[in-house]
Amino acid sequence: MAFFDIKGLVTPFTALKQFGKAPHTVTFPYHKKETAQRYRGLHFNDLEACIGCGNCSTICMNEAIDMVNLEQIEGKAGDSGLRPRVDNGRCCWCALCVEVCPTGSLNLTKDYIYVTPDADSFLWTPGVSNPEGKDNISFHSDVDTSLSMFDRVPMPELDGKERVKSFAETMLYYTEEAAREEASRCISCSLCTEVCPDHMHIPEYINAIAKGEDDDAIRIIYDNNPLGEMCGKVCTRRCEDVCALQVRGDAVAIRWLKEYAVGRAETAEMLKEIVNPDIQEPNGKKVGIVGAGPSGLTTAYYLALKGFDVTIYEANEYAGGMVMYGIPKYRLPMDSLNKQIDYMKSIGVKIKFNTKVGKDITFDEIYKEHDAVFVGIGFQKPYSIGIKGEDAQGAFPAVNLLFDVNSGKTPDMGNKVVVIGGGNVAIDGARVSRRLGAEVVIMYRRRVQDMPADWEEIEGAEHEGVEIMPQTIPVEIITDDNNKVKAIKYLKAEMVADDKGGRPRPVPIEGSETIMEVSSVIGAIGQEADYSFLPEEYRNSIEINRGRMVVNEQMQTANPKIFAGGDAVNRTADAISAIADGYRAVKAIEKFLMN
Amino acid sequence: MMREKATTLYLGPQHPGITGNMMIKLKVEGDTVVKAQTHVGYLHRGFEKLMERRNWLQSFTIVCRICVPEPDPNELNYSRAVEEIEGREVPERAEWIRTLMMELSRLASYLLWFGGQNGSAGLYTMPQWSVGDRDYILDLFEELTGGRVYHMYIWPGGVRRDLPNGFADRVLQTMDYLEKRLKQYDQLMFENTIFQRRAQGIGWIDPAKAVEWGVVGPPLRAAGFKSDVRIDDPYLIYDQLDFEVPTQQGSDVWARALVRRTEFQQSINMVRQIIDKMPGGPVYNKIPNPMKWTIPAGDAYVKAESARGEFGYYVVSDGSNKPRRVHVKGPAYVHGVTLLENILEGANISDVSFIMNSLGTCPPEIER
Amino acid sequence: MTENSLDKEQQIVNHLVGTFQNLTGKVKRNRRIEVSIEKKQITSVLNYVKDHLGFIHFSHMSCVDWLEDGYFELVYILWSPEQKIQLLVKALVDRENASVENADMIWRQLNTYQREIREMFGVNFIGMKGDKEFILEDWDNMPPMRRDFNTVDYIQEVYFERPGREDAQNVRETISKRTGEEIPEVATKYSRD
Repeated sequence: MAFFDIKGLVTPFTALKQFGKAPHTVTFPYHKKETAQRYRGLHFNDLEACIGCGNCSTICMNEAIDMVNLEQIEGKAGDSGLRPRVDNGRCCWCALCVEVCPTGSLNLTKDYIYVTPDADSFLWTPGVSNPEGKDNISFHSDVDTSLSMFDRVPMPELDGKERVKSFAETMLYYTEEAAREEASRCISCSLCTEVCPDHMHIPEYINAIAKGEDDDAIRIIYDNNPLGEMCGKVCTRRCEDVCALQVRGDAVAIRWLKEYAVGRAETAEMLKEIVNPDIQEPNGKKVGIVGAGPSGLTTAYYLALKGFDVTIYEANEYAGGMVMYGIPKYRLPMDSLNKQIDYMKSIGVKIKFNTKVGKDITFDEIYKEHDAVFVGIGFQKPYSIGIKGEDAQGAFPAVNLLFDVNSGKTPDMGNKVVVIGGGNVAIDGARVSRRLGAEVVIMYRRRVQDMPADWEEIEGAEHEGVEIMPQTIPVEIITDDNNKVKAIKYLKAEMVADDKGGRPRPVPIEGSETIMEVSSVIGAIGQEADYSFLPEEYRNSIEINRGRMVVNEQMQTANPKIFAGGDAVNRTADAISAIADGYRAVKAIEKFLMN
Repeated sequence: MMREKATTLYLGPQHPGITGNMMIKLKVEGDTVVKAQTHVGYLHRGFEKLMERRNWLQSFTIVCRICVPEPDPNELNYSRAVEEIEGREVPERAEWIRTLMMELSRLASYLLWFGGQNGSAGLYTMPQWSVGDRDYILDLFEELTGGRVYHMYIWPGGVRRDLPNGFADRVLQTMDYLEKRLKQYDQLMFENTIFQRRAQGIGWIDPAKAVEWGVVGPPLRAAGFKSDVRIDDPYLIYDQLDFEVPTQQGSDVWARALVRRTEFQQSINMVRQIIDKMPGGPVYNKIPNPMKWTIPAGDAYVKAESARGEFGYYVVSDGSNKPRRVHVKGPAYVHGVTLLENILEGANISDVSFIMNSLGTCPPEIER
Repeated sequence: MTENSLDKEQQIVNHLVGTFQNLTGKVKRNRRIEVSIEKKQITSVLNYVKDHLGFIHFSHMSCVDWLEDGYFELVYILWSPEQKIQLLVKALVDRENASVENADMIWRQLNTYQREIREMFGVNFIGMKGDKEFILEDWDNMPPMRRDFNTVDYIQEVYFERPGREDAQNVRETISKRTGEEIPEVATKYSRD
């Protein structure tokens, strides 16, 4: 070790290399680093968009989310009324709740600072605790990465051009694999059960199908609906309109899954074996039912299970009412409907066919012989169109056409048919006419989007070559010398906005008369009930308002022994409402007779 | 030398020299450790039992919390095991993004290790620098996944979101910065005589017994074995990347530090390659409704190379929608218990935490 | 590159099947093979594969509780650095009085794994030395990783619920009460929990 240390002398000069280097600067005032665009901070929920389905609460792996009642939110159809509340002591901010939210209302914000001296204030209601959070949303859900299954499994159907050649069923329905896949999309929120008029236990039977327990699915359906397969084929499916998934995707195919489930039982015997209902001992009370439509059949089935002696009086050859005679066979094949009805007969329901009340038997006899009577006559009488020439040969109501075709006849429609109306009956008439070999045109006074018919039916009709003429008002049917239909005269209309804020009205355009050559004119603008079977004294004892029988909550008319339901009573006029009416009447009849 | 009576010292569970919470019961004579015994259990959260009651998707949110310095190998292994049992394909871009996450996570873990290793020797400037630099990587994670430490980003089927705009540029900027810093770390740590004198010859593992004793990761590579899961049992897209596996012969703390430093540089290069070669495409193969998602019966053992060694996951499915068994094996399971107890015999007290850090002991993964 | 052929793996499986009685094995995929043995063969199989077949690295040991079938499945996972193959050795042990011979003289680190399995599942490793307590402290209940240990019941016995969340509602109940829907017994087991 020398006194003279070269290294010690030179090394300090290396500090010179710092000369000229830019210093490392920390800015003042301090620039806060901006939080990332995807930061997972405190929750925010859009209270209007949220439907209270509870999916966030189910997926949360810490069980941190509760669904609670909030003062400002009322439950209604399509909204359970509950909203999520997060326990911030348990939340780990994994954001799975955001990924499964079907509406996309629940998101995470950039806020992460929450300071309070109160150790119990860890419960946080997103949207209420931070209304300003909506400007700060960072981690949000989008349809591509969401965990909800938004796309429906497609349903195969026969080709449009091919299927007009016959009355074969157009829908091919789900295979077992497709049904299980479709059923597994359901998040079991049960918003659908509220709008179903019959309140069927939808999430339960869908989950049964997803698990592979098809027999249990049938039993759950039969708990309050004995015509499950029919509904599966033709229901108006209001449930699917409020399904949580339809907010940003396709609703779960609730109707087709019902068809799949009950369709598994191929014969009435198999149905009986699977459902295996508990039939109670006869209790000696007798109930008479007028009309074997959906409401009458439902009432009969559940009353027979409870031990009542039930007889249905049906005017036609087959049971089913509008469902049998009004719905064409390519939508609801006869074997399917008969299977369900045969099963009902096998548990003790008695049906007297070709027995028209008022002609073959009087209402008075039925009233006196039975302890209670249920009237489910439906709307069988069609409205007349109200134009000149309506009584010509070749101009007739659609329900008559459908009745004839379903009874096995093949009427001659000629080569060009015009159908007037826009409801399901009009579309049915049109598609049946196509199958009978005619060119078909539908005339409807409003626009296509205003047509009350099912969009699926409209699409099906278009695929089969039916032409729809919206904003068209027929004014006269022109006949030849033999009073046979030759042509139809019509006006075009324009839509005028309604001052009171209602639907736009069609106003005929002056001078737009056109004449089109046609061979048949089918009217389908609505039906009404036929009360001619009811003798005067009975008609006075019940109340009829604007063509509908008036009933109380228990489906009871002003005459306590007469109950009523179905199209002739309710305003919604579809099969499921009729079934719901029948189910409610059963409870009321039981209470009336057994107390 | 006069023999002193043996005293028992409890190092931990709360001690600045311990990486986490673990207790080592030391029997010392004077300054020398005669016997060491590891006691764990302060961080047992029961994750494997928790996963019995949660379904397959909910379980993925728990696994990242098993290890704090490096949560990503957990997420990756869980997802890979589930995908292997079910037979689910992962899109290619997702594989590249997963590799990017793993390498960034490795860098973050090494930076934390730089801090821990030097801190346990009393050289406190290094932890301040390296933990501060780790924050830049955590910023990248925050931008990509929404969380800084626990990402919950890699799930069965792919990854949760695609790269944000401009992310690739920011990653490359951070890599350039870290490379520059590495030179400064060299000056402060690797060319620092104090560190060299402390680290050389300490904590020696006999190379002849290393494989048998279950040593993995950098300690094994420092003993001369070219063993790395990325080349032995390739996963993700490592076979498309160009990298070396460094080895050393010293098998002591100094050799392990050198191995890690070389791997740090290798990881920076790998990140640059990934950004360069990443293909386009989707990033997620959608799973069915999570509440009803079942995995067929079967089992799988998957491994990944984390910064500390071989991380293994044994997952068993019984055909239902919840896992039957998820058993996590971190590298510290062997390093922190039997190996540590062995090589601490004869060590000086002041070297105990030094050696512990060099093995990369992480108590949370021993007891999950 | 033996990427497509599984010859190496198949050879090892065949060799083991030929060497030991009552041993079944199969190739799971590239670099993964598994064999199932009886519990009395554990030490002999482990010694054999370590000394003769190159499986010198012990990766992991696990235990799976098959409560419904009445046995534990012990899984020993080994790795051969030279052939780059992972071998899973599985053996079934009765749940009642589960006991197996100690194997930590073959690999030292097995001691740690066995201590954990003894503590968490209650499997007795005959002849093993080591502290009874590994992860749990002052635990006097049944071994917790067993499937019949119900964590929900345990926490309800030992801890109390922090108040504040009693007003939680169930969506299904709220809707069915509002509409008057009566859910039958056959359906309630399919409702969302």
